[in-house]
Amino acid sequence: MFEKVLIANRGEIALRIQRACKELGIATVAVHSTADADAMHVRLADESVCIGPPAARDSYLNIPALITACEITGADAVHPGYGFLSENAKFAEILDEHKITFIGPTAEHIRIMGDKIAAKDTAKRLGIPCVPGSAGAVTTDDEAMAIAKGIGFPVLVKAASGGGGRGMKVAKTPEDLSVALATARSEAKAAFGDDAVYLEKYLQKPRHIEIQVLGDGKGNAVHLGERDCSLQRRHQKVWEEAPSPALNADQRASIGETVAKAMRKLKYRGVGTVEFLYEDGEFYFIEMNTRLQVEHPVTEAITGLDLVIEQLRVASGMTLPYKQSDITFSGHSIECRVCAENPKTFRPSPGKITYWHPPGGLGVRVDSGAYQGYTIPPYYDSLIGKLIVHGKNRNECLMRLRRALSEFVIDGIETTIPLFGDLATQKDIIDGDYNIHWLEKHLAVD
Amino acid sequence: MAEEKTTIERELILELAELLTATGLTEIEIEKTGLRLRVARGGMMSHTVSGYAPGPTAGAAPATGPVAAKSPAEHPGAVKSPMVGTAYRSPAPTAAAFIEVGAKVVQGQTLLIIEAMKTMNQIPSPRAGTVTQILVESGQPVEFGEPLVIIE
Repeated sequence: MFEKVLIANRGEIALRIQRACKELGIATVAVHSTADADAMHVRLADESVCIGPPAARDSYLNIPALITACEITGADAVHPGYGFLSENAKFAEILDEHKITFIGPTAEHIRIMGDKIAAKDTAKRLGIPCVPGSAGAVTTDDEAMAIAKGIGFPVLVKAASGGGGRGMKVAKTPEDLSVALATARSEAKAAFGDDAVYLEKYLQKPRHIEIQVLGDGKGNAVHLGERDCSLQRRHQKVWEEAPSPALNADQRASIGETVAKAMRKLKYRGVGTVEFLYEDGEFYFIEMNTRLQVEHPVTEAITGLDLVIEQLRVASGMTLPYKQSDITFSGHSIECRVCAENPKTFRPSPGKITYWHPPGGLGVRVDSGAYQGYTIPPYYDSLIGKLIVHGKNRNECLMRLRRALSEFVIDGIETTIPLFGDLATQKDIIDGDYNIHWLEKHLAVD
Repeated sequence: MAEEKTTIERELILELAELLTATGLTEIEIEKTGLRLRVARGGMMSHTVSGYAPGPTAGAAPATGPVAAKSPAEHPGAVKSPMVGTAYRSPAPTAAAFIEVGAKVVQGQTLLIIEAMKTMNQIPSPRAGTVTQILVESGQPVEFGEPLVIIE
């Protein structure tokens, strides 16, 4: 096991990682920008090193500063958290060259899954179902029409060099296709300098369902169930739950085993999440995240496993001690991402927290680095904490969530707590009947 | 009774004086119920006995010599580290240091080196002046923003 872990991140996840290290008796180094000098995880860490000014580019993304911080503190491993350098293959390689362990998968696996087209090819090769589409870029309109008819309308014309939801045009019927192709091409040329487009089946009302996996890099891997993250605003998850209200035990076992088998074949090491769009009983692979995810606590709540401790164990070379039959699921869990934003306009609200009272009680967990008197810096994302509740079933979980939200006090800044209070009383949410468009539609109505 | 008190305080004062010498501090002040005591190097020793509300010590003399009033980072003449790394005061282990206390430097003159990932980075003086304090030793790890040298 490692002697000293450098936590290359900030905010709530840095504190989360610190907690797991402390439980295993591992010394911790908190690196931070000048803006985070009084962050809670910095205060609690065994050592801290200021690595740069507030801008992430000069601090949390500053690879030379991070490596140097490892050198001067003698850290033998780095936990990258999520975001920042957590899926940066070059960072993983540089750490490797310096004989420092990157707590995550190999650089090669980060690379494969980071390239969206390569990821899809790999997924297909490993037997993971993908969104039906063209094999590559489509050149002529006739070729596109033939492929589109094969997939079935509606189809999505996507820019090969696109991303982030840009450069996509829907063709609802065959009549729409040539216009969709032409506009997608000219937009792609203007935005990305490349007018290559490919086709995918367009899913009208999918749910976002992702499978958590854990592997030891030696060919052993298990799945830890799914999370339903359909409630999103501008492609950002807002509320996540495990298990998904849409799946039954058989579906869970089936997709879970498909993914776990793929990870065994890949000899994947660490935690990872395979994300799907799910519609009409079918799963369609969209991408894999080769890191710890924000919403991992709901999986921890229903499996009883500490995913960061599991990361530390497999990263240090231990063999996975679990078979799939050892993994059990108990109860239901919901996570709400509390952001420093206006709950209606979502305008960011950095500033000083004048009063902080988080909820407590059975089945209530708050992961946050915030505290009374803490000033939220304006330089980073607005997530200030996660409220995770667990109950014996989804109903009890929702009751507990409403109670916990009503008890949660954060004064001095605006937060999205009222939004969650609203969601927890919506009929569709209570029925578990929602898809990836639900939240934006609901917000537009107000 | 008064003699007893004087004995107790005398021992305490001697202990504090030893501490001053051992640590290189210029001033130590302690306060506990009924007693407030300040011992300063090079100046007069003084003490106040209980009976007075805590206030300015009667007959206290300010310490002579340099008094570190603010932290070095807040000193207007502080030169702060632009990076994380290991500080070195000379260009090579056997070479002479770039600067010593009292040296007069010009703007741009190398004050020390910070090594990061096997590259040596020269730290230039931001202005002309006199080196009044050197806050790091060769081989000492430094973080971003840490005060290295005071130039006045």
